[in-house]
Amino acid sequence: MTAPEIQKPLLDVRGLTIEIETRRGPAVIVDGINLTVGKGETVGVVGESGCGKSLTMLSLVRLLPNKIKVKGGTAEFAGRDLLRMSKSELRQVRGGKIGFVFQDPMTSLNPVMRIGDQLCEPLIYHRSMNKAEARTRAIELLRLVGIPGPEQRITAYPHELSGGMRQRVMIAMGLACDPELLIADEPTTALDVTIQAQIVDLVKDLRKKLNMSVVWITHDLALIAGLVDRVAVLYAGTVVEDAPVGELFARPTHPYTRGLLASIPKLSDERASRLSSIGGTPPEPGRRPKGCPFAPRCALAEAVCHERVPALEPVVGSNGHRVACFVAQRQMMEAA
Amino acid sequence: MLRYIATRLLLWIPSVLLVMLAVYAMAYFGAGDPIKLIFLRAPGDVAYNPEKIEAIRDAAGLNRPFLVQFGSYILNLIQGNFGNSLTSGRSVWAMVSAAAPVSFKLGLCAVVLTAVVAVPLGMIAAMNQNTKVDYAILGSALFLWAIPAYVAGPLLMVLLILILPGGSVPYGWGGIFDVRILLPLLVLSFQPIALIVRQTRAAVIEVLSEDFVRTARAKGVPEMVVAFRHILRPVLTPVVTQLGLIMITIVNGAIFVELVFGLPGLGRLTVSALTNSDYPVILAITLIGSFLVMLSNLLVDVLYPLLDPRANDTMRSR
Amino acid sequence: MTITPVNLSSSVADDEPPVSLWRDAWHRLVRNKLAVAGLAVVVLLAFVAVFGPWLTPYDFLTQDLNARNQAPSLAHLFGTDDLGRDVFSRVVYGTRTAFVVAIVVTTIAVAIGVTLGAMAGFFGGLFDRTVMWFTDMTMSVPNLLLVVVINASLKTPITAWMEARYQATLNPFYRETIWVDFLLVFGSMALISWPPYARLVRAQVLSIRGRPYVTAARALGLTNRLILMRYIVPNAIGPLIVSVSAGLGTAMVLESAFSFLGVGVNPPTPSWGNMISDGLRVWQHYPHLLAAPAAVLGLATVAFSFLGDGLNDALNPRGSK
Repeated sequence: MTAPEIQKPLLDVRGLTIEIETRRGPAVIVDGINLTVGKGETVGVVGESGCGKSLTMLSLVRLLPNKIKVKGGTAEFAGRDLLRMSKSELRQVRGGKIGFVFQDPMTSLNPVMRIGDQLCEPLIYHRSMNKAEARTRAIELLRLVGIPGPEQRITAYPHELSGGMRQRVMIAMGLACDPELLIADEPTTALDVTIQAQIVDLVKDLRKKLNMSVVWITHDLALIAGLVDRVAVLYAGTVVEDAPVGELFARPTHPYTRGLLASIPKLSDERASRLSSIGGTPPEPGRRPKGCPFAPRCALAEAVCHERVPALEPVVGSNGHRVACFVAQRQMMEAA
Repeated sequence: MLRYIATRLLLWIPSVLLVMLAVYAMAYFGAGDPIKLIFLRAPGDVAYNPEKIEAIRDAAGLNRPFLVQFGSYILNLIQGNFGNSLTSGRSVWAMVSAAAPVSFKLGLCAVVLTAVVAVPLGMIAAMNQNTKVDYAILGSALFLWAIPAYVAGPLLMVLLILILPGGSVPYGWGGIFDVRILLPLLVLSFQPIALIVRQTRAAVIEVLSEDFVRTARAKGVPEMVVAFRHILRPVLTPVVTQLGLIMITIVNGAIFVELVFGLPGLGRLTVSALTNSDYPVILAITLIGSFLVMLSNLLVDVLYPLLDPRANDTMRSR
Repeated sequence: MTITPVNLSSSVADDEPPVSLWRDAWHRLVRNKLAVAGLAVVVLLAFVAVFGPWLTPYDFLTQDLNARNQAPSLAHLFGTDDLGRDVFSRVVYGTRTAFVVAIVVTTIAVAIGVTLGAMAGFFGGLFDRTVMWFTDMTMSVPNLLLVVVINASLKTPITAWMEARYQATLNPFYRETIWVDFLLVFGSMALISWPPYARLVRAQVLSIRGRPYVTAARALGLTNRLILMRYIVPNAIGPLIVSVSAGLGTAMVLESAFSFLGVGVNPPTPSWGNMISDGLRVWQHYPHLLAAPAAVLGLATVAFSFLGDGLNDALNPRGSK
């Protein structure tokens, strides 16, 4: 399902570096990320909290908090660099070509505005619709995301809806202008497990209907296994492994990815077996180790891992599977 | 809603009664004999004629027990009778209703000026947080906050006289469309403006970090619309709740401003009543002041659900 | 658990000494230039208040009728007043008055407010409701009016009583009307100043009591006393310090407001307020008589607000972001 190689990707992020200002000076939190999203492709971005996955996505539409700044790299969207385009051009992209769905629908919706008015905003500013047209379209959108009785719900305030309904409203807002790319930033974290599956199914369904690309950020690899085409695993602000989803589950190559997969509970396992976990914690910004950022926690780490940073290299004999690990790469060379 | 307002009014009555009892007690036990005070100012030797004074006291009902006197004062009050001034003998109601419009007009203008000036300034400061613009606005606000009206007033008058040729002093009252209102209005608004600038700034900074502002920007909403619709709306709620405090600031400030600029309002009436121990007047003014503050707090409570739909549910259940 | 062997050294162990809350707050405070300026002025004024009598070139009461209403000069930094008294010396003594009033009033108000507020927060129920009713009431009456009424009406009987005592005992103490002034000013100002402290402390106690970490401490079996000392006091003290710093400034303004209205500290004891009041009568001819005390009062209040704001940012870092 990977996008054809010849076609230029819709989103092409290269060497994206993000720094945070601290009292001790600037500290790198995203270190030269490379990430591509093809037309119609769904990419999962997976990593622990604090690994820079949300900041990477926010930086694309330049919505980073004040003390966090992009220090380098490019992010081409449909051939234009998002990080360098003019503010008015950027405004056309936000909500128009790139839709966003945020983590917590309670705080991400304006509590003092009716959901209909919030839903109409992108339509009014991108599609130049008048109020009546926007309202009609807003009702359509609410129906599309599966909200019952949209004609009545459109005048509701966010606090009058349930968490799942609010997230559906957020998704409708992201989809309002038929964006080419929908970025969903942990959209199910604040929801109940049963609702989580509903939201995943909803996006899966809509993605086909609307033929859009989706980037789904999560720390829950199992949740998106059936949704995404490709997964990029982030660790401490770098992509450590990038592979088609089937390949990743079948042949996890980076020790961190293996650790992540091993921590997913499986029903088929024997009762006695325990879940494994990765010991230690990711490095704090500003205290990154000199070599591979995972080396201090890695069971397989060798001398070279503490010295140099591994590059993201293709895995031998695979299609589109890349990994950033000296040990894994050497083992593959030896096997080949 | 009506029931809620009625309850609030009923709860206010015991508080204000207690305050008035305290003031009344101070007048009764502290201020000295009101009749003697009257006659000390009158020609003749009546003040030194104890029998005659006793007779007048009896006639005026001043020899009854304290609580009886207070009770009859309150009964009269309920019937709209505020009594007579001890100094001039005029009806307190007439004195107050002559002075009140001056103060009310001035105060209302100050509230409007505060809203028009302070909210935008606070917003500008917050949107430019930690820049020179922010420091300039915040610094001026702190400065205005720290300068009492009785200092700002005379100092501005000095400045104005130095600037204006002919040395005409803006003194006295000519209605709200008279140019002389400008200086007292400005001085009276200084502290409320400072208060609201700081409040608005803090509230905007808080809202700026809210997720829904990021959502609005992610939708591609123009910055101006983000500022006015998504930021200002939620900010108004905490700012409007300061109305009671503003009212107290203005009532307090009016005392000095009216004195300094020679305005014939309630503030000046207060000061002259205090110097003359004219307690019927002081009691009436205390009542009005307390009523104003209560009213503005009540107004805030009534406005609140209109500004914040989340408050609606709790309101209905009350 | 099958734990992958891990090297913990880089991530968990902290190679820097832990920064204490107070030290952190102090660092935040000294980085704020306005707060440091405010602190400097407050310290200077406090120094003047304490050592004033040794600093002034003249006595504040000494009249020099040959040098009346002089403009500022080297001999008289702020000039002289209508009785030929040195304005600079009077302003210095006024600093003393201002500080004495501010400190005494704030101490009384904090003592009453903290006690009542903490008790209301802890006991709840009828006691809580009564205390809150009183604070609401005091805060809903234009406070200046109330205090001025108290001051104006109680002064006459107390002075009369003092005079009567003097006649009876011939003890010169009863002739010192300055004590009456101070008593009334302190008393009435404390009376309107305590409710904000009570509210603050009560709200702190209530909110901290309900926090998960206090519940957690309780679940661990900590005693009430320990919870109070370890959790509630340290958390409530920051906002209280901020509030006290602002309160000191407010008390100085209030004191001068009283003196201005003629119900505060009476002449001849110099107070900024009564100097402003006197200056106001003649400012057209001798502006320095108004400008000197007004400028110093303004300086003091600005300094206290800068300091209070800086303390607020330093002690409540969450609120400032």
